[in-house]
Amino acid sequence: MHEVSIALSMLDIAAEKCRESGYNKIDSIRLKIGRASGVMTDALIFAFDVVKTDTIASGASVIIDEIPVSGSCKDCGRDFVAEDTYVLCCPRCGGMAFMINTGRELEILDMEVS
Amino acid sequence: MAKVKVVTRILEANERIAAENRKVFDEAGVYVINLMSAPGAGKTSLLEKTIEGLSKRLNIAVIEGDIAGTQDAERIGNLGIPVIQINTGGACHLDANMINEVLEELPLKEVDLLFIENVGNLVCPAEFNIGEDIKVMLLSITEGDDKPLKYPLMFQESSALILNKMDILPYTNVDINKIRNDASSLNPVIKIFEISCKTGGGMSEWTDWLVKAKVSNQRSAGSEKLNTDS
Ligand SMILES: Nc1nc2c(ncn2[C@@H]2O[C@H](COP(=O)(O)OP(=O)(O)O)[C@@H](O)[C@H]2O)c(=O)[nH]1
Ligand SMILES: [Mg+2]
Ligand SMILES: [Zn+2]
Ligand SMILES: [Zn+2]
Repeated sequence: MHEVSIALSMLDIAAEKCRESGYNKIDSIRLKIGRASGVMTDALIFAFDVVKTDTIASGASVIIDEIPVSGSCKDCGRDFVAEDTYVLCCPRCGGMAFMINTGRELEILDMEVS
Repeated sequence: MAKVKVVTRILEANERIAAENRKVFDEAGVYVINLMSAPGAGKTSLLEKTIEGLSKRLNIAVIEGDIAGTQDAERIGNLGIPVIQINTGGACHLDANMINEVLEELPLKEVDLLFIENVGNLVCPAEFNIGEDIKVMLLSITEGDDKPLKYPLMFQESSALILNKMDILPYTNVDINKIRNDASSLNPVIKIFEISCKTGGGMSEWTDWLVKAKVSNQRSAGSEKLNTDS
């Protein structure tokens, strides 16, 4: 729902990093987005296309690495990757003593600049 | 073309400002509750009742977050409580910076409890920390018993879940046990209250819990101070 504010933060971080590195044009930005981050990737790309207008990222494309929700279970001692965006019990043994390891990411990994 | 490593969390700026806010609150000894729900679940009504129950014992202040309008701040202001209205102008949640900008307008040194009524929305308020001690979620029972599984994050992030409008339970087919079970599976330590802001039912369990939460927070802050002194 707030993809515009996320797109704006993303633009701020990327633009600063680009200038810091001595470049003045961003060609692409690669993001890591967890499935349980609450961000809709289509909406984020759309929002970014709007906010990047007339900035050093105006020609930038967005590449998204989607990260599934995964965890480790203390009951059966195994790791799991979940199909859903939320996990109620360990999909392997049904146990409740698990920890979520990935799925909430919302990060800029790297970018191509020139 | 060159590749530049970034590896930065996109919400990092918000987290940083939230931590700043938290420091200001801790130093002033204010316990902060981020109150979240869908529009109309009864956040402002809960605040009115809670203020009624606690304002003799504790100094309370309120920040009202709404997309537009000042009605909620007027309702709270009528109770003689310091209140600040933030209009987000379209944004679907409060963020740490919006809170940071109004901090100076509150008499924080004299405040024990600060309630921040977030924008009515079950999705994103849970993702933006604003410097609160705890998140509390309100769900009116007419919203349906499927909500924990549809909006898991808010249930996972909240310390307490308040089920409101229990007075109209007889006129609904909502399954309170299902809400309780699903919410507890998502968050085994969530504390669940059943209340009615209309009749006042269940209100004292909630306010007693809140006072205890504040006091135990004070104690742990006190012991932290002792540790760093020694
Ligand atoms: N029947 C009933 N109505 C309630 C209760 N709590 C709030 N309401 C009503 O629900 C509507 C929305 O309440 P409000 O506090 O403004 O909700 P908010 O948008 O979450 O701040 C108002 O008309 C309230 O009078 C309750 O416990 N029972
Ligand atoms: Mg309200
Ligand atoms: Zn939002
Ligand atoms: Zn298991």
